[in-house]
Amino acid sequence: MDTDEDVEGNTRLVYVRFVTKLDDPFKVPDTQLGLPSNITRLGLSTVVNNVLQSGRDNWRHEPFDFLINGELVRMSLEEFLLAKGISAEKVLEIEYIKAVAPRKQEEPSFHDDWVSAVDGSNPGFILTGCYDALGRVWKAAGLCTHILEGHSDAVTSVSIVKPKDVENDTGALVATASKDKTLRLWMFDAEESRGDPSKIRAYKTLRGHNASVQSIAAQPSGDMVCSGSWDCRINLWQTKESDAGASVSIKKRKKGSHDGESQSEGEAVSTLVGHTQCVSSVVWPQHGTIYSASWDHSIRRWDAETGNESLNTFCGKVINCIDIGGESSVLIAAGGSDPILRIWDPRKPGTSAPIFQLSSHASWISACKWHKESWFHLLSASYDGKIMLWDLRTAWPLAVIDSHKDKVLCADWWKGDSVISGGVDSKLCISSEISVK
Amino acid sequence: MIVSKENSPLVKSRKTKSELKEKKDSGGEEEKEERTWAERSEEIPIDSATDDEAWPIFSISRRPGRLQRLHLLAAWIELQEAFLSALVSDNGDVMEEEIRGPVETGGSTSTFNTARISRKGSFKIDRTLRELGSGLSDILGDEGVANTSDGDGSSNDGGGDLSEGDQSESEEFAQGVEESDSSEDEVAPRNTIGDVPFEWYKDEEHIGYNISGKKLKKKERQDKLDSFLASADDPNGWRKVMDEPNDEVVQLTKQEVKMICKVLKGKAPHKDFDPYSPYIDWFKMDAKHPLSSAPEPKRRFVLSKWENEKVVKLVRAIRKGLIKFDKPKEKPGVYDLWGDDSSSMEKAGHGLAYIPAPKPKLPGHEESYNPSLEYIPTQEEINSYQLLFEEDRPKFIPKQVVIHLHLLRFTSLRSVPAYENYVKESFERCLDLYMCPRARKKRINIDPESLKPKLPSRKDLKPYPTICYLEYRGHTGPVMSISTESSGQWIASGSSDGTVRIWEVETGRCLRVWELGEPVHHVSWNPSSDIPILAVSAGLDVFLLNAGLEDEERKMINKLLHIETSMAPDDTGKISSIVSWDQDDNHGGIRLKHFKTVSSVEWHRKGDYFSTVMPSDILSLCIMWLSEEPKSKGRFSFLSPISTLFCIHILSLTCLLRESRAILIHQLSKKSTQRIPFKLHGLPVSSAFHPTRSVFFVSTKKNVRVYDLLKQKLIKKLETGAREVSSIAIHPGGDNVIVGTREGKMCWFDMDLSSQPYRILKCHSKDINSVAFHRSYPLFASCSDDSTAYIFHGMVYSDLNQNPLVVPLEILRGHASSNGRGVMDCKFHPRQPWLFTAGADSVIKLFCH
Repeated sequence: MDTDEDVEGNTRLVYVRFVTKLDDPFKVPDTQLGLPSNITRLGLSTVVNNVLQSGRDNWRHEPFDFLINGELVRMSLEEFLLAKGISAEKVLEIEYIKAVAPRKQEEPSFHDDWVSAVDGSNPGFILTGCYDALGRVWKAAGLCTHILEGHSDAVTSVSIVKPKDVENDTGALVATASKDKTLRLWMFDAEESRGDPSKIRAYKTLRGHNASVQSIAAQPSGDMVCSGSWDCRINLWQTKESDAGASVSIKKRKKGSHDGESQSEGEAVSTLVGHTQCVSSVVWPQHGTIYSASWDHSIRRWDAETGNESLNTFCGKVINCIDIGGESSVLIAAGGSDPILRIWDPRKPGTSAPIFQLSSHASWISACKWHKESWFHLLSASYDGKIMLWDLRTAWPLAVIDSHKDKVLCADWWKGDSVISGGVDSKLCISSEISVK
Repeated sequence: MIVSKENSPLVKSRKTKSELKEKKDSGGEEEKEERTWAERSEEIPIDSATDDEAWPIFSISRRPGRLQRLHLLAAWIELQEAFLSALVSDNGDVMEEEIRGPVETGGSTSTFNTARISRKGSFKIDRTLRELGSGLSDILGDEGVANTSDGDGSSNDGGGDLSEGDQSESEEFAQGVEESDSSEDEVAPRNTIGDVPFEWYKDEEHIGYNISGKKLKKKERQDKLDSFLASADDPNGWRKVMDEPNDEVVQLTKQEVKMICKVLKGKAPHKDFDPYSPYIDWFKMDAKHPLSSAPEPKRRFVLSKWENEKVVKLVRAIRKGLIKFDKPKEKPGVYDLWGDDSSSMEKAGHGLAYIPAPKPKLPGHEESYNPSLEYIPTQEEINSYQLLFEEDRPKFIPKQVVIHLHLLRFTSLRSVPAYENYVKESFERCLDLYMCPRARKKRINIDPESLKPKLPSRKDLKPYPTICYLEYRGHTGPVMSISTESSGQWIASGSSDGTVRIWEVETGRCLRVWELGEPVHHVSWNPSSDIPILAVSAGLDVFLLNAGLEDEERKMINKLLHIETSMAPDDTGKISSIVSWDQDDNHGGIRLKHFKTVSSVEWHRKGDYFSTVMPSDILSLCIMWLSEEPKSKGRFSFLSPISTLFCIHILSLTCLLRESRAILIHQLSKKSTQRIPFKLHGLPVSSAFHPTRSVFFVSTKKNVRVYDLLKQKLIKKLETGAREVSSIAIHPGGDNVIVGTREGKMCWFDMDLSSQPYRILKCHSKDINSVAFHRSYPLFASCSDDSTAYIFHGMVYSDLNQNPLVVPLEILRGHASSNGRGVMDCKFHPRQPWLFTAGADSVIKLFCH
């Protein structure tokens, strides 16, 4: 093989050895190969597939991504080595992983209006919020099991609070936020599935915001939710039914009896004040820490117990979405009113400069989510109608999901290998079989 | 020579001695001579300073070496005194002692004293003294020897050759003295022990050492008794003198004694002594014979007082500038025949400026009689020259000679024919020199960059809107107006398709649509966040619409927008005929019926009052009608006489009323309408409330008038100087106003400065449709029919001394032109540095930073 290559072209040979952390069917024998230096990712993938195929009869080609010194190869091998200053004299050790790209595009799930929010944190179902003021629960693509009815204006954000309370056997608990200034808590049994979607009413309405609620996030334990709103405040709410809350709600209900809904009302436990403009996004990654992003160009970290602000990062742009994850689950990814996805490391002292700036989008970024298991992978959705999968080890997007025809308003990971997204084209798209390690 | 002169008395005395010896026979003459000498000396006036008889001779001497001589004389006198005392005492030993000391002291003192004057001199004097001493001793010795030879016979010198020896010696001495300048060693002292004090060897047997280091034995000395006895026996004993250095006893001759006696008497020592010898300037003569050839150092030079003063005078005059030195004249250098005449231009600085004629080009290689091959054009090239224009053709083509049908170069300069164009070219050159008028072009060399005002960099003025990411699509006609909600979550837009829409800023979703049926001119969102009411002017009506954003306060707004029927028209008289407040159930709001098209609606900051402007006054309608009538194509032609009359009639009527009707101020809470109590001079175009005070801005077509609503009077009139004002915006501070005009100019007024524009920005090529200030960022914008919007940095400083800073930042493009209209309206986001632009292409764009 070496000699052939040598004779054919006068390109330089690079000696490589392929290693992987993948399981057996994807392991190649530990041998050195001489490859022409102008080989690209596709060529490398073909080589690995050929090697793998040699042992087996019915081998299905698998696209691979290649890592050299912890960086993804995104150009020809020669250019990569030159760019990174790696010597081509030694035997190059190339790690290969399965390419992170959706292999399957499921049937879109149609909504009646724009899909404004989606949550895929529960592998059992997908929760979506829609501009028609309804929340929907989807079992799978095109299979809607529940419709959450009750909001009077567009749902802006949804959050799965607790997948299933085993002790009380109460089913899944979800929360939605809406432009009608309220949050609603819903409970349903995700397991039950009938032919047509069942309509569910909220068991609790949380009032307290003076403007449309923009974002909602649940505590990991599921006891509390927080919400960010256009009134510049972040409210914390109890999800459990407490007696005091009930009594208050009864009074309230008596006052405003025209509604006639059989639901209790809750009031905010505490309010985090500090932002000067719309709180566009909140996340609650750990028990006591809340991160919030605002249109006042700041990202703040709050202590949920005391309500103190422990971090204030200035960005310079309006931020629409924020997520915490990545390496040791502390990196802040945020996107906003420009096409750049920025990633901060709050552990770096004394600097507010982002450590990564990923800019391949063409318009505002509407959503960004870290992969739950991976340190490197995250997705971003943008108004340019694209969802991009990113790996921090390269500055180029791994994959671009182009299933939406208009602005993508929300996106999330689902089941660890799928990307769910909703947008202005009123579709919930599921791109599955993404092999993130 | 000096020494000889100096020793001249001695020499003379020697000579006299010899003369005396010659004239021994004639003693009487000598006596005479002596007497005459004495007489002469007595005739000499005596120096008053000296009472000593001996002095006058020397004191009158005008020699420069007077001091030396004095010392010499002093030594001499001491010697004489000692001698005399010895004579008196008749004691030889004492005499010896006495003589020895003074000689030494005299020598030393003279040396000491003369040292100051001149080393050379002192040396010579010193030596003179020594010679004097030796001479004396010679004198004494000679006689002593003579005496001793007479007496003892032990002396080695014969007495017979005394005279000869003496004479020869004296001659020799004189000769030696005369030659002593050149070599002093020639006169070797007989004493070889050196110049050491004798007391060193006082008790020794030897008196010193000879040159080879052997001891020189002292002569056997008689003890004092013997010598006394000997001297007593010797009749010449008193004449004997001990010559210490030579360790011998000399006997003075008779003449010598006589001379000593004469000297002691203060007379001339001998008759040959000339007290009137001519003055010899010893020092000058001395200077001619320096010991070293080195030039006399300047420090020795002592100025004379008068010379010094003269020098000082000259120096002062030079310093004052009274004496001027002529600059050395520059020699005319070599004339540079081929150089450019730039220097000659400088020379002719006065009078008319001389412009040198351009130099002809120097002959190059082509003109050489034997040019290199590359300069010789080939036949093809020569042919191709013929195709060129006359001016482009090369002036000179090297000539060649045809030999045997070959073109060859000339072999020598001799064979080169005369240049046929020489006369012609020279003539032309002369014409050019004489007749061509030359004028100097003044070229101003200014860097255009330096003329630009220094503005801060755009980078430093971030953030400002630059890129459009979001578009709000839905209107089907040109979007005439947009308005932002105070929180910045929503915007409202009105279009000429008759719809009013509310958009969500973040996503671009159209929240609500009202179909008003008539083209919407202006929408305005209530600035109060509690009252989400839209004021929309469409056609003749102004609608107050409930935006439907408030959930809980819906009832309150409903109440606010509810009109009781009892309040309805006719109770406010005249004004009600202008405006009627009606409930509009179709759109859920109030409809204010105006009698004319309302072009703009502006809210007061508190959200209760709002003003409406009806620019197309009846008057203007009539005027328009009248002015357009000739152009109208027959539609109204049949009406024309009547309509003209009608219009003129209305015109005369409304002239009385018109000041109040064009602008109305409405109050939402009371549902009332009032006119502004001012007279408008011209057609109102737009109006604005002051952001903080109760001041009202009304812009007519040419000017902007500022009224105080409380005092009801005109505060200021801002003169735009423009033909037609289209829009006005007030800085949130309230002291600065920008006015957009239909000529594409924008005027910035600083109301504290003057009523003239502080700055006029001419940037748009077409009408400016709208201008806007940002509420919090120092930004302002203008949009125009040329489909662009301009962003400016407009910093207003709280320091009153500092004028506002206006920097153009960005041109925002993207809107398409439609029917000649471009961007109809622009509004800033209330909190972000974003700009919304409403285009005639029915799109609203959001430009982000």
